[in-house]
Amino acid sequence: MAVSFSINGTQRTFDGDEEMPLLWHLREEAGLKGTKFGCGIGQCGACTVHLDGEAVRSCSVPMGTVSGASITTIEGLADGDSLHPVQEAWLEEDVPQCGYCQAGQIMATAAFLKETPNPSDEDINNGITNLCRCGTYYRIRKAIKRAAENMAAT
Amino acid sequence: MASLNRRAFLKSSAATATLVVAVSHAPHLIAQNAPSTAHVSPCLKLNSDGQITLCVPIPDMGQGMETTAAQMIADELHVELNEVSVELMPFLGSTNEGRAVFGRFYQGGGGSGSTMRIYHELRRTAAYARTVLLEAAARNWQVPRTGLVAASGHVNDPGSGRAIAYTDLIEAAQSVGDEIKSNTIDPKPVSAQTVIGKNAKNVHGKSIVMGEPIFGIDAEIPGMVHAVIRRCPHLNGDIVRFDDREAREVPGVIDITTLDRIPEDKSAYRSVANGVAVIAESYWAARKAANLLEIEWDGSISVEDDTEGLRSKCLAALNDGEFRTSIEGGDIDAAFKEADQIVEATYFHPHWAHTCIEPHSCIANVQGDEAEIWVGHQFMDSAINGVTNAVGISPSKVKSNFYRMGTGFGRKFEEDYVMEAALLSKAIGRAVKVTWSREDEMEQDYVNSLGAYRLRASADSDGNVTAWHIKAAADTVPAIITREYPARLIENYKGEFHQVPNGVSRGAWRGPHHNVAGWVIQSFLDEIAAATGKDRLQSLLDIYSKKEILKSANWPYRDTFFERYRAVLQKAADEAGFGKTMPNGWGQGIAVHHTFVSVCTHVVDVEMLGEKDYRAHRVTSAIDCGLPVNPLGVRAQVESGIMDGLCAAKYGKWVLEKGLVTTNNFDTYQKMRINEAPADVDIHILDFGETEPRGTGEVSLPPVIPALTNAIFAASGKRIRNLPISENL
Repeated sequence: MAVSFSINGTQRTFDGDEEMPLLWHLREEAGLKGTKFGCGIGQCGACTVHLDGEAVRSCSVPMGTVSGASITTIEGLADGDSLHPVQEAWLEEDVPQCGYCQAGQIMATAAFLKETPNPSDEDINNGITNLCRCGTYYRIRKAIKRAAENMAAT
Repeated sequence: MASLNRRAFLKSSAATATLVVAVSHAPHLIAQNAPSTAHVSPCLKLNSDGQITLCVPIPDMGQGMETTAAQMIADELHVELNEVSVELMPFLGSTNEGRAVFGRFYQGGGGSGSTMRIYHELRRTAAYARTVLLEAAARNWQVPRTGLVAASGHVNDPGSGRAIAYTDLIEAAQSVGDEIKSNTIDPKPVSAQTVIGKNAKNVHGKSIVMGEPIFGIDAEIPGMVHAVIRRCPHLNGDIVRFDDREAREVPGVIDITTLDRIPEDKSAYRSVANGVAVIAESYWAARKAANLLEIEWDGSISVEDDTEGLRSKCLAALNDGEFRTSIEGGDIDAAFKEADQIVEATYFHPHWAHTCIEPHSCIANVQGDEAEIWVGHQFMDSAINGVTNAVGISPSKVKSNFYRMGTGFGRKFEEDYVMEAALLSKAIGRAVKVTWSREDEMEQDYVNSLGAYRLRASADSDGNVTAWHIKAAADTVPAIITREYPARLIENYKGEFHQVPNGVSRGAWRGPHHNVAGWVIQSFLDEIAAATGKDRLQSLLDIYSKKEILKSANWPYRDTFFERYRAVLQKAADEAGFGKTMPNGWGQGIAVHHTFVSVCTHVVDVEMLGEKDYRAHRVTSAIDCGLPVNPLGVRAQVESGIMDGLCAAKYGKWVLEKGLVTTNNFDTYQKMRINEAPADVDIHILDFGETEPRGTGEVSLPPVIPALTNAIFAASGKRIRNLPISENL
């Protein structure tokens, strides 16, 4: 049975294997490779996207469950040519080293700041669980705070 | 690329003209007859529509190499990094001897030495390019070149106020390129550098935060198919039988084929694992079908490869194994007899997995006697040689395309994932992309070594170390730790090593050997200080005051300046307030280690969280890495080494149970997240007036582990002699 949903505002339908994780639909069928494969079991967060505004790990979301969903990926986070404040903060703090996990980190942070616009360190510790193998955590923490400040100021 | 017979040439197309300032194998390649294109590549591309592209020789895996290299070019060319594009050069080396080898440019990421290996050549090349552009403008304006100035991508004539963009000099530059002798042009002195030595953000930062497909795993080519391989889960083993009937029913499956182990002899080091490969139209179809394969394995020859078993063997060897001596000096027996105090301890660490965040992948297209690969790989030569090793195609017939890597840590130095793609492409006659799962990446890892160490030292009544005896038993040849300082600093010294038999695939893991040597040595020095009551910092300063300069006994055998050891120790200690009174349950630890090319000290501030846990809240660091080309990048690498070291020390344990890897994803192999990362990192880059860079990538990791365990001792009185800490507090 075909499943209908939207990705970055564009309506799509899917009638393939309903067990296929959303991650592979994004990467292999929708041509959106910004969402990354890291572990396949929802542990690392490299594949984080927004599903109806909530951060989810797309490697663990079967296509059969996304009917009617509104999905946003890293490619759809910016507002046209204007980067999202979280993306801006990531550049200002020079967060990325290899950069592979950062799309997931940014998507997780964007959703997190919607719920927690003025996060404490403890909020960040509890709310951001994505893995970064370069160990950019120190700069991620600063970038989350900077993004929160910039968003509050606008 | 067309054959190049000039250093600067014009390539025209209907839409744009591009000047490619090329670097050659020869120091002043002028009007040479059609040199091999393998030896010629641009460091600068100018496009008549205004685009400037800097081309860098070494792939980036997060160590910042592309940014650092771009700074070297930008400095000589007077361009702003935010106004140019940066791209990776192709492989430039030689394939003449049947092997791909580096040419004028080193094109690998390893040994923390990439920056220093390209520093001269890249700046010299860029200086040549600048001179060509200045001369072109000079002729345009009919003024002497010496009066012109390069700035912000333009040539300026201060006399007249004229300016012309580099990209408007393409045609003019073409005619002067031959006449400028590159060996007459020196790069700028440090005092004139304006980009080198200044903070530069990641040149690919915007691509990264926008999710652009810049990694090896993102590559795809028209007509390719996907492969997922079920590799032998035992360290070594055989396929007894397999049933692929269900797998073949999965829509999109094209073929299922076996891969043989390379080499066939299972006692020899594994290059490629044996397995069953599913070829399909998509990764997901291949993955799903692979999961449906029913495979019976025989892993009987690997049962001795067991974490607990190897641990016991190493510990037993310390008592009764046969050891080889690496360094021996003075008379340790006499010193121990005269000692006021003797300290003895045994240390152990298990294997660590790399856990590269980007699982390995490679596309290969093998057609007849030619091949092409698309891959993220640390060493361009190794990747190309992997194709040759797998399918016998001459490296001169291997076209290669390299991508950014989602970390490497030494694992993406191996050839196996390239070889698999080449083997499968040859087998089915189509372009094949092999993508690994996380489980593949961890089960088929070339792990850091496992080892045990017994150390014995004597001290006089003032706490000065008078003799040092280290015995190292590991699954690799653990000679390096026995040659590290304090060897040759303490007169009465004996270093011995022993390798236990095993079938484990070991490889380079960030700071190979040093990553554990730093811990064992610096922790034991802290033990001696604690036992004798000597001030911990002073005892380190005293050890490193015994000599001023020694040539390192380990690769790359550089001179060690102990003034630098003392300086980084003192700086980190001062900045951290080392020795200050800490609240109950808090403690500070200090350690220093020299890894390959550079020396680094950390002070770690730890708070105990009950009996079994802790947090490292603050790390204060001092590093001497020579001239820091990108101080912001140096800081990033020091931060990275800190996090990686803290994580490996706390959780790193790759477990073999009778030859089977039981820690094969992040549910069974824990990694540190932001909640455990120090929120306060204070890094000091020391300036000894050096005019050349050395390296940073691995340097900060080895000393952070002992700084952490020494801090835990100070905070809790518990000495960590077994890793991981999470299991040994």
